[in-house]
Amino acid sequence: MITTVTDDVRRLKRARRGGPNAFLGPLETAVMDRLWKRRRATVRDVVDDLAKSRSLAYTTVMTIMTRLHAKGLLVRDRDGKTYVYRPAFTKDEHRARLSRDLVRGLVDEFGDVALAQFTAELDSVDASHRAALRRIGAKEPRS
Amino acid sequence: MRTADRTFGLLVVLAVGSSALLIALLAALLPRGFAFVTGGVADTASVVAVLVLVLATFGVTLGLASLFRQLLATLSLIRMLLSRRVTLSRRVGDIAASLDLAGRVDIVRDVRPFSFCYWFRRPRICLSTGLIKRLNDAELRAVLLHERYHLRQRDPLRLVVARYFAAGLYVVPVVEELVEYYSVQKEVAADQDAVRAMGGVRELASALFKVLPQADDVDLGLLVPVGSLSATEARIEQLVDGHAMPLVLSPASIALSGGALAGAAVLAFADGLHPALLTVPGLVGPASLLLAAAASGAAHQVRLVVVRNSR
Repeated sequence: MITTVTDDVRRLKRARRGGPNAFLGPLETAVMDRLWKRRRATVRDVVDDLAKSRSLAYTTVMTIMTRLHAKGLLVRDRDGKTYVYRPAFTKDEHRARLSRDLVRGLVDEFGDVALAQFTAELDSVDASHRAALRRIGAKEPRS
Repeated sequence: MRTADRTFGLLVVLAVGSSALLIALLAALLPRGFAFVTGGVADTASVVAVLVLVLATFGVTLGLASLFRQLLATLSLIRMLLSRRVTLSRRVGDIAASLDLAGRVDIVRDVRPFSFCYWFRRPRICLSTGLIKRLNDAELRAVLLHERYHLRQRDPLRLVVARYFAAGLYVVPVVEELVEYYSVQKEVAADQDAVRAMGGVRELASALFKVLPQADDVDLGLLVPVGSLSATEARIEQLVDGHAMPLVLSPASIALSGGALAGAAVLAFADGLHPALLTVPGLVGPASLLLAAAASGAAHQVRLVVVRNSR
């Protein structure tokens, strides 16, 4: 009972930490790719799929899929004794979320942080300033 | 001397001067306030004294809250950095060493391209793997030169101090405007330093261009355009044609600040000045100047807290 509660708390914390920046590692990407292709799959399905290109232990894949579930990228239903996983977002939706996270700056993530940043990510730069910057950035060095 | 240094100097002089005046006022009014609270005479002078004491307590609270918030945010950022730190690559290590930055640069794993200077006593520079991947050696050098300026100037510490003054001196709203101006000017100064060391603007400009949020993000409505020039736009103008952004203080905040300080001066030295000033209009006039500035400043500082925390 107590362990389930602490597990849930840990999962919640992990989900929150993974929430704002849902960037994936290489193994997580491989697993997500399989799930986007198959739409629904069990851990065993993914292990078998991935076995064609690389051999991964069942427990490794299970850990990754549990983590993806905690990050909110996979949803799962119980089917008898096993879980069947589905992607929570389509590939395009996931990409859109990623680009939103790319824009979200550190100041945004951490509030009133005291640092001197090279760029303030949320600053808007209009087209004319963008073009001017590109022009002087592309200029040949003076010889 | 750079505009950034001049602005910071002006800010400190103004902040210390205002603080001294307000402390003098506090010292003059404290006995009266105590007398009132402990059930003494309830004349106008005592009411004004208690009012000023309340404003001062609020200012001290705002200042401490600002310090606390900044330290907390910076510490949680550092914790995140340490958890994602990767070993310094040979490439970055060599460039850092050639700029006298050996042992002062960290790399963290993050796809977002960013670099910044952090911490107070012995600042460090942090680069993301996303940034390093996008930039070539010369651009990376330009960015490290920019950060080296912040590191040598201890800009993170200056920023904490400046924000603390702005929050604590909420009755003097020009301090907050000076902080905003300083935040942009320190970036301009760091750019200028890097451009001078690189012998041209090209590398810094192309590095900045590469890390700007993509135009697509703007189209998606993820970035909200601001009315006036954004800080990055001001930096670009400075890079393109050396066009410097002048310091423009709003007339309203000059009037409020001047009024508050004049009011404080009158109240602080009223006892020694003239008995006529101790009459009701003599006290209510300066006190209301102080109160007007306090109301406006407090509204602004509270809004800052809300905006910074809710984004």
